[in-house]
Amino acid sequence: MAYTSDSIEKLVEEFAQLPSIGRKTAQRLTMHVLKMPKEEVTDFAKALLDVKEKVKYCSVCFNFTDHDPCALCESQKRNKKIICVVEEPNDVIALEKTHEFKGLYHVLGGALSPLDGIGPEDLKVKELLARLQEDVDEIILALNPNVEGETTTVYLAKLLKPLNIKITRIARGLPIGSDLEFADEATLTRALEGRVAL
Amino acid sequence: MIITKAHLLNFRNHSASAFEFAPAMNVFLGENGQGKTNILEALSFLCITKSFYASADSIVLQRDKNFFEVEGTIEVETGRESAVRVAYDERIKQKKIFINNGEVEKFSEVIGRFPVVILSPENNSITFGAPAERRKFIDLIISQSNRLYAEEMIEYKRILRQRNRILSESDTRLNERELESWNDMLVTFGARIIFKRTQFLREFSPYLMQMYSQLVSEKEIPKLLYAPSVSLEENIPPDEIEILLRKKLEKRRADELRLRTTIVGPHRDECIFSLNGMLLKNYASQGQHKTFLIALKAAEFFYLKERCEETPVFLLDDVFSELDEERSKKLLTLVETLGQTFITTTSENIFGRSPQWNNERKKFLIRSGSVISSIKAA
Ligand SMILES: Nc1ncnc2c1ncn2[C@@H]1O[C@H](COP(=O)(O)OP(=O)(O)O)[C@@H](O)[C@H]1O
Ligand SMILES: [Mg+2]
Ligand SMILES: [Zn+2]
Repeated sequence: MAYTSDSIEKLVEEFAQLPSIGRKTAQRLTMHVLKMPKEEVTDFAKALLDVKEKVKYCSVCFNFTDHDPCALCESQKRNKKIICVVEEPNDVIALEKTHEFKGLYHVLGGALSPLDGIGPEDLKVKELLARLQEDVDEIILALNPNVEGETTTVYLAKLLKPLNIKITRIARGLPIGSDLEFADEATLTRALEGRVAL
Repeated sequence: MIITKAHLLNFRNHSASAFEFAPAMNVFLGENGQGKTNILEALSFLCITKSFYASADSIVLQRDKNFFEVEGTIEVETGRESAVRVAYDERIKQKKIFINNGEVEKFSEVIGRFPVVILSPENNSITFGAPAERRKFIDLIISQSNRLYAEEMIEYKRILRQRNRILSESDTRLNERELESWNDMLVTFGARIIFKRTQFLREFSPYLMQMYSQLVSEKEIPKLLYAPSVSLEENIPPDEIEILLRKKLEKRRADELRLRTTIVGPHRDECIFSLNGMLLKNYASQGQHKTFLIALKAAEFFYLKERCEETPVFLLDDVFSELDEERSKKLLTLVETLGQTFITTTSENIFGRSPQWNNERKKFLIRSGSVISSIKAA
């Protein structure tokens, strides 16, 4: 099923390597790129390179950002005394969409999963502890409602307990085994409002 | 419920087999190795998303094919019809399930919707085999009658694998707080499972006694005794089971670190079967084992029927050939009372001298993965 052009074949292969894109879709995307005006393709290629070259982690919350610290961490409108701990940058986006949470975030970069070789030292846990040197009133644990997220919640609660800061977790309204990032806004709002102390 | 139609594609030795089933009895007749059991296995995919026997989906994929499909129409008691489609693609090693064309996100949502009971020679291990066989038996019943249990079982198994990985690496690195966190999870989910199993066995016992007494004339009392990994008193709530599990974990800590695996929890539970107070495993005759197993399966049927508010389909795989004439007759009498049944056999003799096939009772001749003919009166 090879194309008569190596460059087309190469682009199909590249697309097909992306998550949730099969070979058929990859072919369709490639055909689309072939028909795009050259300027658009250049912009697209540049956008791809830019995310690699310009995007870095915020040194405070470890979310993605162009400028360090990120806009959320720098914002005067955010309540700096509440930190919401999440697994991935996408979870921040999901929670921001609710317009419910006005504090700061802390992105762990995953959850505990021995099977994937992820232990506490592979997550931004030390960095979270460092942030708590400053005046913080509440930490909200908003990890995914699956086995790994739950265990990480348990771990963080144990770790933070001696610090005498209010620790809460979002309500368990989310279906078990689901991902925070795919929860709808109403569900997430309810989860935030119904958070419980640990 | 009734399975009205099924269609198998690249499933085991069935390249393309289509069936229209009778609402009462469906008999698959044919020589050994022709593909009768494979049909029951396909029905199991429709009902519980997976095979009764095969551990992996790829095993039932027809040799040299890259996908299989099982499609079926199931009519539930409310009269509603569901089109169920199970599709497996070997190239991406992925199984998808569609109900009325909507993709099912979590397979646990399907379990219990279309309850099913199977009796097959493999099931002999329930009374003869290791504790794991009995756990599997009771877990499938509870899962079908309680969706949350099905999910909790999946999560418990995941916790177990995660925790075992920590223990297996404990000589090179061990973070106490991390292990503690997995302990918390093990204890929380373990207690829920033990609680539900306890509850289940209490509810299930009367069904078993009832069915057993229907099968034997002598007065023999069958009993199920749950022996979880922590000793329990009656009616103990999950949070107290948690405390017991936690104590036991502490006590066995050194052993776990030495063996590098989790030895405390419901995955080590045993369920003991006895007859007149004697352990079935050690004292029962072959015949008693067989009767016990049939009673267990019939009890499963009536238990699920009540809990799921849906009459299960009953699959009998080569069961009659293993039974003496009396047991065979009793089982057949029982089968007549059950609902929709699917029976594989190499001989028609079990149904008497001149069995009647009609709209209620259909016979399918199976040869080399194909339906040679299906017989029913017009
Ligand atoms: N994955 C597979 N692909 C093709 N044929 C298979 C596969 N698995 C089993 N078979 C064939 O199916 C037949 C057994 O079918 P089975 O339903 O167990 O027979 P029976 O009629 O005795 O119940 C054998 O001929 C075996 O070779
Ligand atoms: Mg067979
Ligand atoms: Zn930031």
